Amino acid sequence: MKRDRLFGRKTGISYKTEEKTVLRGFNLSDLAEAGYTFYDALFVLFQNRIPSEAEMDMLRYETGEFLEHSMSPSAASAIAVINGRPYLPAAVAASVMTFGGAHGPGAAHGYMLHKYIERARVEGKPVEEMGKVLVDEYMDNGLAVMGMGQPQHTDGDPRAQPTHIKHEQLCKGVYLDLQWAIEKRFNERRKKEGRSYVAVNMIGAGNTALAELGFSPNAAWCIGCVCRGFSCAAHALYTMKKGRAWAASKSEPMVQMLDLSMIKYVGPADREVPPQSERQAYAKKQKEEGEYKKWVI
Amino acid sequence: MGNLDDPRLMFNYRTRERGCIPPDEKRQRFQWVSEVAYKNVHRIVSRGYDTTELVEEGYGLTDVLFIDFQARIPLIEEDQMLNYIMVVMLEDGQSNPANIARIVAQGKTYLTQAAGASILAFGHAFGGYSAMGNRLMTYLAKGEKEGKSVAEMAALLVKEHAKDEALGVSDLMLKDPMAKRLVARAEKLGVAGKHIAFQKEIVKAAQKASKTPVDIDMLGATCAAMMDLGFTPEAAWAILAVTRAFAAGAHYCEEIERGDGYVRLGQVLTPKEDYDGEPDRPVPSLEERKKVVKSMVAKTPQEWRENVDKKKKISGSGWAIEEEIEDPRGSRKI
Repeated sequence: MKRDRLFGRKTGISYKTEEKTVLRGFNLSDLAEAGYTFYDALFVLFQNRIPSEAEMDMLRYETGEFLEHSMSPSAASAIAVINGRPYLPAAVAASVMTFGGAHGPGAAHGYMLHKYIERARVEGKPVEEMGKVLVDEYMDNGLAVMGMGQPQHTDGDPRAQPTHIKHEQLCKGVYLDLQWAIEKRFNERRKKEGRSYVAVNMIGAGNTALAELGFSPNAAWCIGCVCRGFSCAAHALYTMKKGRAWAASKSEPMVQMLDLSMIKYVGPADREVPPQSERQAYAKKQKEEGEYKKWVI
Repeated sequence: MGNLDDPRLMFNYRTRERGCIPPDEKRQRFQWVSEVAYKNVHRIVSRGYDTTELVEEGYGLTDVLFIDFQARIPLIEEDQMLNYIMVVMLEDGQSNPANIARIVAQGKTYLTQAAGASILAFGHAFGGYSAMGNRLMTYLAKGEKEGKSVAEMAALLVKEHAKDEALGVSDLMLKDPMAKRLVARAEKLGVAGKHIAFQKEIVKAAQKASKTPVDIDMLGATCAAMMDLGFTPEAAWAILAVTRAFAAGAHYCEEIERGDGYVRLGQVLTPKEDYDGEPDRPVPSLEERKKVVKSMVAKTPQEWRENVDKKKKISGSGWAIEEEIEDPRGSRKI
């Protein structure tokens, strides 16, 4: 059987021969035989090190609680995709790809923390003070402070504060100090402006813990988002095995996601299709009037 | 307008209604129905267990996988076995998922695009858990119904599917003990069951039928072990594809950190020596078009057959690929 690689890359991550697969110098089979967990292996993968037990416990906690979040954009994507009955991996892939600037912006939050910790170092300021600077700079410029608020858990994400407390117990460091300072200043300002209290979300809590564990912004993002892919696979699989394909059947007792009555149209009113003989004049007039511009997306 | 007055049409196109369909008040309104999980303002609950209470009690990702997919807390040995499988499945060098992630990374994308795309590498050959697992279940059920031994069913399965990429037996792991160690660990932990036993018989049957050395491979070992842990073939497929996506994230990072920079549209060349298609030729003018083109519309089955045979010789046309697309209506019964 042909076993050539598709294209060659120098890599510091792993190699594979006919005899073994080696990750950062460790034979993967030996790692499993020795009793190391999947959480340990993620540290080896991203950080080239075996973690302390406390660090491993924190990652187990974090991934265990982040895995399932019922109906979020990622689960909805997986369900929508599987409605067409492609192969299951397509739905799971879609769910992971749903994570971006709004849904779990882990890398962006990580880079934000890095930037201000570095400024604390360079400017010789305590991290707590830098949290205040961060919030003021973001809010004064009309920017959203990442890691705060969750649209569904309006009293605070039920996972977030317990994660902070576990983080404090197991591996508290400079990241948690900064995050706490951010949360404190953020709500001081909101209170002053007469606005309601907004609690930390799972990016603010979970991503801070992952950063403290030594994961880069992208590695932390990867762990969070890919981890969610597991539960999205379960949601897709449930829909595939027990749901109705296409999600529009009239014979189901419940109105389906893609039932025609679910469509609400708010675009241009219905209009006559111009005959080809009038097309050029019609199109010219339409372009000149410019009404169409308000619909351009 | 055009053909819209054709009497064969199903309704009158001149008098069609306009506007959206009003809300359906007769049926229950749409909701996201799920047996897997729900959440409210203060809780996230998977299969009845509050996820924050789970992790506070010391359960982790691997436990939650049993909960999400099987609605149960695993035995300690089962959790240990799942950890074992996920550790050995985490990384596989520069194989397809890693390559896909690296290619996507070159376009200057989010990491999530690359990690998600890597999951698409899993099909019915690469990581064919659905194909292999469902076949194990089918033959085991058939053997039970017909009163045949596991060895007999293994011989039949090999006879009928010896060349299938998802047999779980191949020459891939002849020098690498990883797959066999995994099976031994499942047996040591007491979690090996009928799927591992059946797969071992399949190995014996395949070795007997093959002229060259073959043995259990990673698909064979991990698929049988996952099924003995109670995961369905589809669950195994998804869980292990996602497991590999973590490593795809590392490959995404490394591609950016150590690559030659991002790749722009139009940047990559394909040398002519890699091309074995039609020789370079002039484009006919639109006037010449009528004289030189020939329609491929077949008027009879015989013409259709001849056309198909001609088109099969055109690489990239898709005509040389024979595959059966599963009837999705059956998928509810899996």
